[in-house]
Amino acid sequence: MNAPLYELRGIEAAHEKGGERVLHVPALTIAHGEILGLAGHNGSGKSTLLKVLGFLLEPCEGTLFFEGALVDARAMRAGHLLRRKAVLLGQETRLLRRSVAANVAYGLKLRGLPAPREVVSRALALVGLDYAGYAARPWMRLSGGEARRVALAARLALDPMALLLDEPTAGLDRESAEHVKRAVISARVERGATLIIASHDMAWLSSCADRVLTMEEGRIVAGL
Amino acid sequence: MDYFSEGLARAVELLLALDPETFSAVWTTAAVTALALGASLIIGLPLGFALGHFRFPGRRGVRLFVDWMLSLPTVVIGLIVYALFTTYGPLGEWGLLFTVSGMAVGLTILGLPIILSMTATAVESTDAALTQTVLSLGADKTQLLLATLSEARFAMALAAASAFGRIVSEVGIAMMVGGNIKWHTRTITTAIALETGRGEFATGIALGIVLMLVALVVNLLVALLRRRAG
Repeated sequence: MNAPLYELRGIEAAHEKGGERVLHVPALTIAHGEILGLAGHNGSGKSTLLKVLGFLLEPCEGTLFFEGALVDARAMRAGHLLRRKAVLLGQETRLLRRSVAANVAYGLKLRGLPAPREVVSRALALVGLDYAGYAARPWMRLSGGEARRVALAARLALDPMALLLDEPTAGLDRESAEHVKRAVISARVERGATLIIASHDMAWLSSCADRVLTMEEGRIVAGL
Repeated sequence: MDYFSEGLARAVELLLALDPETFSAVWTTAAVTALALGASLIIGLPLGFALGHFRFPGRRGVRLFVDWMLSLPTVVIGLIVYALFTTYGPLGEWGLLFTVSGMAVGLTILGLPIILSMTATAVESTDAALTQTVLSLGADKTQLLLATLSEARFAMALAAASAFGRIVSEVGIAMMVGGNIKWHTRTITTAIALETGRGEFATGIALGIVLMLVALVVNLLVALLRRRAG
């Protein structure tokens, strides 16, 4: 527990192998249980940094430590074990072509864990959706906002060590956005999760984050 | 108009009386379609999935070849299969010319590119957004593969329905490779062509009704699958 959750040194990342490097992070440490906000314009590198922290994108240079252990190419080959601890809700994330309950239970099943009704119901309640009204509903009968909330519920059900959220309130109406914000805060308060949130909603980030990093052209320019 | 309505009335009569000649063509069509569709699915689904999911050298060339196969006129496929199976052809000794099995081979060549192409496209379009979603939830490589397969299931069923529609309504290959032999290789489509040519309008209409009903069911299925496939 003494080691920080993440430690990045000299990280450089590109969207594809040999491509232009779009992320440059000389040093960054993220503590257990911290809420870290990432601010910046579109294309500033927030999503790329989240993908690196979510073990979906392997840096082309630098060292990354997670829970004090070096994440090297060998560790990335078993990346799913890391991704089971640090779960990303990306902007491109979508639901599977299944019912709402099956979507929420999916990640648990991937881990070979049971997905009892209470767990699914609680995760849905966290994002303001009631089990009776939504559990059996197929993916295609959800609005964009509802689908986003179900996707978040699917990640909250996993009770991850780190929850990485890329614009979690984008495209949501005010009421839905409030549910998401409350759910995110409860993940830290009730479960002690580390939260890393990229958002344009500066007021919200400032109100809930322990610190906010501002990014520009792939670099952290303020907040360190 | 009388000619048409009389033909229609006689057609209904033939169908209700379970006319053996009419139902022989229906049965042959069902058998040859089942064989050709079965073979197309067994070969096409795994290959189509691999073509859409994996990146390998020459993949684009294979895609181009499959797309080219899609546009081959059925009469050309019939001609090639005929040339292969004719007595002096390279596969003549197999004795498949003018048999249901021979027709099934020709119709498999027709159905296979449809299954291959639609499955590959379905898997490709599913992969982009799905990969991040499933990986971020903690899936390993096998679980990702299974999830992709599961997500493409409606589109794969759509491919099967489309291939079925194409195979069941085909006439060129069935005529050339099957020879349109009564009680043996005569299908609904070849029978319609023959009976209408002979002035046996009623039998043609009766068989046409069966084919139209099949087409209606297939189209309803396709519409349903299209909705489910998103």
